[in-house]
Amino acid sequence: MPEIVMSHVCKRFGDAVAADDLNLEVMDGEYLCILGPTGAGKTTAMRMICGLTIPDSGTITFDGEDVTQLETAKRGATMLSQQYSLFPHMSVMDNILFGPTIKEWDPEDSRIIANNLLHMVHLEARAKERPTHLSGGQQQRVALARAMASGSRILLLDEPLRALDARLRLELRKDLKSMVKSMGLTAVHVTHDQDEALEMADRIAVIRNGRILQVGTPREVFDSPATPFVANFVGRSNVLTGKVVSREGGTVSVECGGYIIKADDDKHEIGDDVVVAVKIGNTRISKTEGGWFEGRIERILYEGVSITVEMNVEGLGLVSSKLPNRKFDDYSEGDTVAVRWIPSAASVFDVPECGLEEELRVE
Amino acid sequence: MALIEKIDEISSNPRNRKAWLALACIIFAVIIVIPAIFVIFSIPTRWDEIQGVLADSDTMSIIWGAIWNSFSLAFIVTVLDIVVGLPMAWMLVRKNYRFNKYLDTFIDMPLAFPTVALGFSVMVFWGCPDGITVPGLGLVMSPYLMVVLLHLIFTYPYMVRCLSGILEQIDTNCETAAMTLGASKWTAVRTITLPLFRAGLVTGFILCFARSLSETGGTYIVLTMMGASTFDINGFFTGPTLISELRHMSQDPTSGLGDAVPELILISSLLIVFALLMLFLAKTIMTRLKIPWRKVWPRFGRRVSGKKVATAKDSLAFMFALIFILIPSFYIFVCLGTEGSYSDYGGFLSAVGTSFLVAGVATVFDIIFGIPVAMYIARNRGSKRAELLDNLVNVPLIIPTTALGFSLGLFWGGLGLSSWGVLLVIFGHISFTYPLLVRNLVGAIEEVDPSYEEIARTLGAKPFQAFRKVLLPMVKSSLLAGAVLAFTRSLGETGATQAISNTVNTVPIYIVNFINGDIPNYYAAAVSSVMLIAICFVFMFGLRIVIDRMGGKD
Repeated sequence: MPEIVMSHVCKRFGDAVAADDLNLEVMDGEYLCILGPTGAGKTTAMRMICGLTIPDSGTITFDGEDVTQLETAKRGATMLSQQYSLFPHMSVMDNILFGPTIKEWDPEDSRIIANNLLHMVHLEARAKERPTHLSGGQQQRVALARAMASGSRILLLDEPLRALDARLRLELRKDLKSMVKSMGLTAVHVTHDQDEALEMADRIAVIRNGRILQVGTPREVFDSPATPFVANFVGRSNVLTGKVVSREGGTVSVECGGYIIKADDDKHEIGDDVVVAVKIGNTRISKTEGGWFEGRIERILYEGVSITVEMNVEGLGLVSSKLPNRKFDDYSEGDTVAVRWIPSAASVFDVPECGLEEELRVE
Repeated sequence: MALIEKIDEISSNPRNRKAWLALACIIFAVIIVIPAIFVIFSIPTRWDEIQGVLADSDTMSIIWGAIWNSFSLAFIVTVLDIVVGLPMAWMLVRKNYRFNKYLDTFIDMPLAFPTVALGFSVMVFWGCPDGITVPGLGLVMSPYLMVVLLHLIFTYPYMVRCLSGILEQIDTNCETAAMTLGASKWTAVRTITLPLFRAGLVTGFILCFARSLSETGGTYIVLTMMGASTFDINGFFTGPTLISELRHMSQDPTSGLGDAVPELILISSLLIVFALLMLFLAKTIMTRLKIPWRKVWPRFGRRVSGKKVATAKDSLAFMFALIFILIPSFYIFVCLGTEGSYSDYGGFLSAVGTSFLVAGVATVFDIIFGIPVAMYIARNRGSKRAELLDNLVNVPLIIPTTALGFSLGLFWGGLGLSSWGVLLVIFGHISFTYPLLVRNLVGAIEEVDPSYEEIARTLGAKPFQAFRKVLLPMVKSSLLAGAVLAFTRSLGETGATQAISNTVNTVPIYIVNFINGDIPNYYAAAVSSVMLIAICFVFMFGLRIVIDRMGGKD
């Protein structure tokens, strides 16, 4: 059952469009990530859900009840922001008790709830301290406990991991999600980090220029992108333009820069201008076997677990391939390699109206 | 409690919040801005009489002389403040001398002194007024120079505060970066840090200029004690003291001046117009002013970057503060050792009562109606309306308080309220203290990330709850500082009170009357000044303790 429904929501700030006919459903108990580049309208979408920004038009409902104009305090949607905003003049305990105090719950019950939450986030020992004395990860946990204690069913997370250092960020992804899940909350998590979204989300909504481009499970969004932008933003892709020249069953042959490449597709006719996108991780190179075309290796980047090989292909420009790091010794700069992929790994799109370069641009 | 809960509930409705903001803005306009500049609009109605004054070349030369004195004085004092305030601010923020902590406290003290007391003190220290037996330096100097020495004292703390505030915010990384790129310390400071100072300089300039332009009580005392304030061509006046003297003389039927209203309208209007022009000029010139950094003199820079030069600079800054600011301020205490008689404690206490009533009501009013305006300005940076409001708040700050007081008296008097002396004086004090509080608050609220309040609201707090439980405790110290500033400024104010009412007797007026009387009683003036200073300190100290206690309980 959908818990949050945003339908036909529009919001402008002067000339800037933050939400352009935005439609989104979040299921009860779901962990949904809104993924998009900076300035795509992610934060505005979230602020409209909790009522800090009121949409120009459209409706937002919680459990079927229209909350579009409802005051923030009464919505029961609380926010966890990137800087946590723990009130510096209150102790950890008082921060957690803020919601219950405001709502005038029974002090004894509130204290029990707060103690339970503190226990859950492993911070019982720090209850009396000021939040500024805690580490980033601890502050985040206090912020989470504070959000939970307010009795909200909906948790909005605004880039909650951004302020943490890289290592901690990776560790906390799992913790954060499991804590949210174990409390049975419906969560909307805003991020521009595709790895974070892929790892944490039940479903991902990709947003750009105030519009939702695609909603789906991480796998759907990664493997079957709806637009060239999604293909390139969620996991890097080689994106090529060409013309369909022939079809065999579910596979088309596309002529690109003088080469013939193959991709699975059932929507385009022979003669159509198309864009073909294939994830760099699915782009294979070989020195011995043949391929769709050949390229000269310009650079090899060692990234730890993986390596990325960048090739210059005459007529196509730069094409990249991501390989496991054990392949590092197999190639060296200046080598000529053949490039290919399995047709089912590639996606075929219409040529975007705004032009490919504009389509792929990340502000 | 029930009232607060009701307000919480009312604040939930955005329409109520807008109405409250609108009310605060209307009050700001009707009680603070419009009365302050009303005098300009009264010119047409009294044009005939004013023409008479314009035709009187003797009077006009006195008026122009006074206005020239006011503005040139303010300019010289402010420039001096910048020159001597910068090294002091630098020393307070960047150096770790052991005495810095004490210096920091002492520098602010002249702000808590009523200017009449300072005027008296300065006169006794530097000059040799007749009828005073206290050993002073006994220097004979022109009234102009004496007034410069006085104005330095109460503008200097403003400048040092402004500059050190900015200096604390400036990231030293830029300076370090410049030094790693090969600049000497001096060159790095001059080319990198100083240009970043501009905003602080503008604020400091405006504050000091306005304060000096506005000051009445202390200047009046100095000039009276020097015998320079006689209303003729040999007299020496600043704009505000001229207004005071005219008000004083108009009460005396033998002076043959009548009510002097046309003259007062003319002087007040001229002061207000020039002051506003000055504000505008200062803002445009200072924001365009570029501190040249392309030209460098590396050898000179290296030479003055040494430790010796730095120590010499710090010592000079310290000596200046000691000799020109601190000792002259506190010199009044020496007068207590002289012989004299004073027994009018009843009169003093009643004046104290009036002073506290006026200052207290004005401060509370400032807090209640200043907060919504300050929040609006701070939270809507970039919007045209907020910018307009922001500029309007400065208006009563730059207008000399005597002119403001006279204008206000005309405005409310025109509405038939002239017999409500104390109320009008309170209105007047609200006008010039309001900007002090709002300025402080705007700065503090801008520092607080709006996400704190937003998060509180997503946790279930109604807007007013979010304000009083989250924002208010975070800006508490600035609110307190602003309130103390407003309160003490009101307590020390002479000019506005004098210009609004002849009957309301606040402590500064009480003190001025001792010196201004037919037989000056300097001892009584000194004793009551010291008592006022003592009361100020006890009050501020007590207030701080009370507030700290309240903070501890939360």
